[in-house]
Amino acid sequence: MAEREPVRITGTHAVSALGRDADALLSGVLAGTPAFGPVRRFDTTGRRVTVAATLPHVGTLADELADAIDRAGRAAGLEPADRADTGLFLATHGGPHTLPVPPGAQEGPPVPALVGHLAARCGLGGRTRTYTTACVSASTAVADAATLIRRGDLDRVVVAAGYLVEPDQYALFDAGRALAVDGAVRPFSAGRRGLLLGDGVAAVVLESAGAAARRGAPTLATVAGWGRAGDAYHPCQPHPGGDGLARAVEAALRRAGLPPAAVGYVNANATGTAFSDASEAAALVQVFGERVGRLPVSSTKSVHGHALEASGLLELVVTVLALRHGKLPPTAGWLAPDPDCPLDVIRDAPRPADTPHALSVNAAFGGANTALLVSAP
Amino acid sequence: MLAEARWPEDGDGTPPALPGFVHSPYHPLVAAVADRCLTRRYGDAGALPAGNRTAVVLVSAGGDTAGAAHVRGTVAAGGRVGPLFFFQSVPNSVAGHIAARRGLDGPVVCLSPSGDPRAEGEAEADLLRYDGDAAQALLILIELAPDGTSGEATAVLLGEGTRP
Repeated sequence: MAEREPVRITGTHAVSALGRDADALLSGVLAGTPAFGPVRRFDTTGRRVTVAATLPHVGTLADELADAIDRAGRAAGLEPADRADTGLFLATHGGPHTLPVPPGAQEGPPVPALVGHLAARCGLGGRTRTYTTACVSASTAVADAATLIRRGDLDRVVVAAGYLVEPDQYALFDAGRALAVDGAVRPFSAGRRGLLLGDGVAAVVLESAGAAARRGAPTLATVAGWGRAGDAYHPCQPHPGGDGLARAVEAALRRAGLPPAAVGYVNANATGTAFSDASEAAALVQVFGERVGRLPVSSTKSVHGHALEASGLLELVVTVLALRHGKLPPTAGWLAPDPDCPLDVIRDAPRPADTPHALSVNAAFGGANTALLVSAP
Repeated sequence: MLAEARWPEDGDGTPPALPGFVHSPYHPLVAAVADRCLTRRYGDAGALPAGNRTAVVLVSAGGDTAGAAHVRGTVAAGGRVGPLFFFQSVPNSVAGHIAARRGLDGPVVCLSPSGDPRAEGEAEADLLRYDGDAAQALLILIELAPDGTSGEATAVLLGEGTRP
């Protein structure tokens, strides 16, 4: 049966260059020290940029995802019987040849097979789905899972997402001159030069209020609202006025039943790319008006890098942790204000979180935009 | 269902080249079948009025296998890929091309189905319409042939309709 209660987040897990659990992610983003360093995982000879935020030792993407799903499930207190009717929505790169190849194999698992493999390995017997919507894959998966839970179709979904820095995507971003040649990510700052890639594997357990209550599962945070909208502007560039992103944020607010003034923090998409950050700032100005200059905003991509298909989930976990611990993470790499980004960017040090409501926003090629409204329980 | 199209249909050859997209038949095939479907519903009238909330749902198990193979081979050989491969490296790019050309301002969602592709795509379109982010959805199903040459694509416009 459909319910109007916000969707519960009852378990999270995240792996990034900042460390191998959510605590490491939180302490890393609050410290604000970028995790970028020379890439040693593969040869970067001939590339314009040779740094990324990578863990020193990682398994295959399938192994890392399975571990993240299992740990998020354990954090949520899911018993085998609970897992049996739990769905799995996976966000990862499309195409069969970009996954790490296990020892002795010729190819990594093809994408459609991966979600079934992970569900079987982790004992999840519910509906599965795989999102390949580039940098809004994970956030779209969360929005869809929340819709299905609130409609009453599903009681519980694990959303998992993963990207481990690998040579093919690295070469593509380098060829597209998207990577920051100064080796730093400087969201919303004057002098920003681009993005840097980073490892990200995360899993989040979403469930209905009723299902969580029946298990006696504590709620970490709620997904109170969500929105998805397109720019209808360009294959790769965002709308300069941020039109699609603004509509996604407005939809998230509408679904949550909250006015813009209720939002006290935005975990921004901001990649450190000149055009994209300005577009995002324009979207926030559209929604929040003059108040945007007093609305704390940060982009933790400046610390953990851009995890592509996984970025939306990694940043959702950051947002949940920030609300729970009452501290808003800073943005690294700041040089000077950019008049095209008239925002209250948190920098240098964390700020107290005196709000129960935060937004995590993401944008991708194709003019795809999402917004997730996270609330304290 | 408001309109449906396939590529190839009787008399079709290779889809026309798509400016800005290179090497792979994936993107021209997606663009051709999408354009044919939208033209059947709206004629060749260009962009829909703003606020149409038409989603683009692109469903492909294999994705751009030809492009991915080229990139992988080039990188493995120590070479440099061309910059256009970056801009077409995710399915969103060609979905965004269609959205921009026809003014489709609903969500863009790309799925890699493990079950029946059409059923998964229709379920996503239904969900987006139920939720209200979309009023209608252009569902595109595309798979290249196993050897990376142009395969088959279907486009379906689902919903109760936006006025031409």
